[in-house]
Amino acid sequence: MSVGTFTADAPELRTVAVAGWRDAVSETLASGRRFTSLHALAETGDATVRALFDGDQPLLLSCRSVHATVPSIIDIVPAATWDEREAHDLYGVRFEGHTPLRPLVRHSPTLDDWVVPVHGHNPYDVAVGPIHAGVIESGHFRFHLVGERILHLDLRLFYKHRGLEKAAEGVNDREAIHFVGRACAADHVAHTLAYAQAIESARGLWPSAGLSDTRTFLVELERVWNHLNDVAAMCAGIGFAAGNMAFAALKERAQRLNDDLAGHRFLFDTVAVGESPFHLDRSDRDRARAILRELRADTAMLWRELLFNSSFQARLGDVGVVDKSVAVQLGMVGPAARASGHAVDAREASPRLSYGAFQGAHPRERTGDVRARLEMRALELDDSFTILDDLAARDLSGGPAHAHGSSSAIGASTVESARGASTCIVELAGENVQRLRLRTSSYANWPAVPTALVGNLLPDFPLINKSFELCYACVDR
Amino acid sequence: MFVLLKKLQQIRADAATGAPPRRTSLALRHVDAGSCNGCEHELQNVSSPYYDLARFGLSLVASPRHADVLLITGPVTTRMVEPLKRAYEAMPEPRLVAALGNCALGCNVLGQSSELVGSVERVLPVDIRIPGCPPAPAAIAAAIFGAAAPSSDA
Repeated sequence: MSVGTFTADAPELRTVAVAGWRDAVSETLASGRRFTSLHALAETGDATVRALFDGDQPLLLSCRSVHATVPSIIDIVPAATWDEREAHDLYGVRFEGHTPLRPLVRHSPTLDDWVVPVHGHNPYDVAVGPIHAGVIESGHFRFHLVGERILHLDLRLFYKHRGLEKAAEGVNDREAIHFVGRACAADHVAHTLAYAQAIESARGLWPSAGLSDTRTFLVELERVWNHLNDVAAMCAGIGFAAGNMAFAALKERAQRLNDDLAGHRFLFDTVAVGESPFHLDRSDRDRARAILRELRADTAMLWRELLFNSSFQARLGDVGVVDKSVAVQLGMVGPAARASGHAVDAREASPRLSYGAFQGAHPRERTGDVRARLEMRALELDDSFTILDDLAARDLSGGPAHAHGSSSAIGASTVESARGASTCIVELAGENVQRLRLRTSSYANWPAVPTALVGNLLPDFPLINKSFELCYACVDR
Repeated sequence: MFVLLKKLQQIRADAATGAPPRRTSLALRHVDAGSCNGCEHELQNVSSPYYDLARFGLSLVASPRHADVLLITGPVTTRMVEPLKRAYEAMPEPRLVAALGNCALGCNVLGQSSELVGSVERVLPVDIRIPGCPPAPAAIAAAIFGAAAPSSDA
């Protein structure tokens, strides 16, 4: 594994007229690029809408709205549905053809404004939240049921909207990372890393091998505690207390290691633009390696216990199924996408990090159910332990990013967080951030949760929900 | 299953969390008023085998109707202020309010002022302050035990 050579990876900005917007998007998809994110810009007069597509050099299509209206692309790119709803709510852009254009961030007191109409023989609603029965983030779920079976789920998130992106506008590019970091504790490293790399791509900076190795170590360390948490949460979703507690204990050990190495149980403030505030000396690395090896052995042993527990296993199969076609259509990311056979792992295309020829894992059977999503956690844990063991033998003393290319006003970067690809886009004015867009893995995958629920039993909702283990905080921002 | 249980028994012996100052019982209800999810993770960890505060009579309950203490995380957002007030009103008296984490205490909050109401103190009377970003499970436990001990014993 090694860091890649310099690539000019600041996105290419291509401006198109409103009349050519849909064609430009279709042609970009036909060229093999995948949709990554859509955002709007507040400008005097009509707002501008921009859509990012992946690639060694990503492509940012841009279109100035006319009378604050742009043709919708959600029939071509269903994954952009939430992005358009958000741009409408926060920037007043109207999307022609997106009907009904339901509110997403703004909460309407009128139920009909945001709930899908359901008709039939005795359907009824179960409304849950925003405050839930457990220690869970705030969000509202409205289940439409027939008996115990789920017909449809309407989600209403954004109870935790703090306006972090807007608050970062006008802030110096080295300081604005704190707004990204505050979006969510669980994916703090992945998000701040996406931000730092986005700024570096705009500034023409490329990480030294030491910086790249150190950052890769951090983001894999974050994956370990998250995946251990997810396995514990799925055991809880089944009501299997022994499994829940055993994996909660492993998570605690992983978080204690974080604290030992970085002085913070969630690795806060370990990533910065152009340098690394986090570094390990030889004795730290040796200790980390020894602790991670113990953790790996215990994880493998307890995972086997779950495999041999037949009543636990009986709850997993054919529950909460997402078909591959749906996963592709919705632009799902991460272990949940790979569980359905949608082969996307941002680590395979991260030349700024030390993944080399890494290939993302896949379950034995890509069934897209709770079983496959659970198995993904075990497979990825094993991969992460291997990567960490390898990196712990290297120099993790940080290092600089060097100037290689020319500077540009726009930067973007995608990092594979524990839940999948999270993308950060920055538009700069001099030293300051003019527009920040953080489109997280949870944002990408939440729309898949209602599709996974259709036809399942309401009592399986906690389990299905935990098999995605999505964050609310970094969606709401 | 045997291995799982044996392992848990071993953790409990190793963890050896100190006993609280006195035997007590408090029912805790959590409300997320806009946190980054860090305080939620640490609050969940309080129930993990390394801490397991249920041993000492501290339990997280499903409804504010069952609760003695309302544990609130996050800088209160405009969208969470009403649900938060309703949860408080649903509690029986006597009741305590705990502000969990720096955001709830109004320290170093990031975001747009138009989306935030501000610290918990601006919405409800706060009895227990638990600083930290986020506070570690042991700090959460210590603060709640402190509140559980009557002031004459403190």
